[in-house]
Amino acid sequence: MRRTTTTVFFAAALALASGIARADAAAGAKTYQAKKCQDCHYADGPAREKTLADQLAKKGPELWYAGSKFRKEWLGKWLQDPKPIRALKYNSLTEKNPGNHPKLAATEATDVADFLMTKTSPLVKDGVVKPKANPKGRLVFTKNMPCSGCHQFPGQKFTGGLNGPSLTQAGERLNPDWILAYLKDTRTFKPLRQMPVFAGILNEQDMVAVAEFVATFK
Amino acid sequence: MLRFFIATVLALFCAAPAFAADGEQLYKFYCAQCHGLQGKGDGPNVTKDFPVDPRNFTKADEMNKLSDADIRNVILDGGPVANKSPMMPPWSKTLAKDEVDALVKHLRSICKCKGKT
Repeated sequence: MRRTTTTVFFAAALALASGIARADAAAGAKTYQAKKCQDCHYADGPAREKTLADQLAKKGPELWYAGSKFRKEWLGKWLQDPKPIRALKYNSLTEKNPGNHPKLAATEATDVADFLMTKTSPLVKDGVVKPKANPKGRLVFTKNMPCSGCHQFPGQKFTGGLNGPSLTQAGERLNPDWILAYLKDTRTFKPLRQMPVFAGILNEQDMVAVAEFVATFK
Repeated sequence: MLRFFIATVLALFCAAPAFAADGEQLYKFYCAQCHGLQGKGDGPNVTKDFPVDPRNFTKADEMNKLSDADIRNVILDGGPVANKSPMMPPWSKTLAKDEVDALVKHLRSICKCKGKT
């Protein structure tokens, strides 16, 4: 009897928590619209960009797979106090990032984070990549491939180029499994971007190693 | 006669590729981040500690040492194919053949040179 009561209690608690999460996501969706987030970040997939002109017309990165890409805790904090992730303004090679991304209040940020976490991609398989100081990943990232040419990273002397999004805190910002999925199936997420497609150049083992290495950046 | 003229123009128009690769646009999007918008090897990725000097495409004497095939190979397979730095990425899985051809043509317009034949 006691076991039955406990089971019912936990089931009810789970259902309640799930219901609250759904309610927060719904509130987040409303805030997303009200704050006009979609003007710069479309949140419904699949990817819409067909030509370079389509990509260049965007004011910010797409978020239709944000729930697979970001760590929820980071997202909620960043939305309250957004610090530039790119040194340059989105889609510009000449203008600095003005660092003027709108801030959200704490409750709004939590709700929008809940909403964005519902935006997932089935291409991202959970639990494949664990942060790890993988020597092969380091070799590929820093020597064999040009990753550091565009992405800032916690290096010794050379700390990376400026055009790509900074990876200095990638371990706090990104889901490690998304890094791998992005390397494997780049065009599904970003049909046109300034980073080369590495599928067919790196094998999956190397991609896992790079994802593990990048996920250690904090 | 007019009908024949319109038919000819239409036929020519339809035979052309729907979107011809634009070398300048491709260059600005993919290459300028390291090689600079003017091709001088000074794109925004090239910080003071950048480990190599990306090629300056305005130097005709250097560019003349390369054939179009040399340039095409480096674009497709990256710097190591020409014993250069891996900082020059391999674009073979990113760019289509006509896009690479358009890029080679654009680089020739920057250096104002024809290169080794």
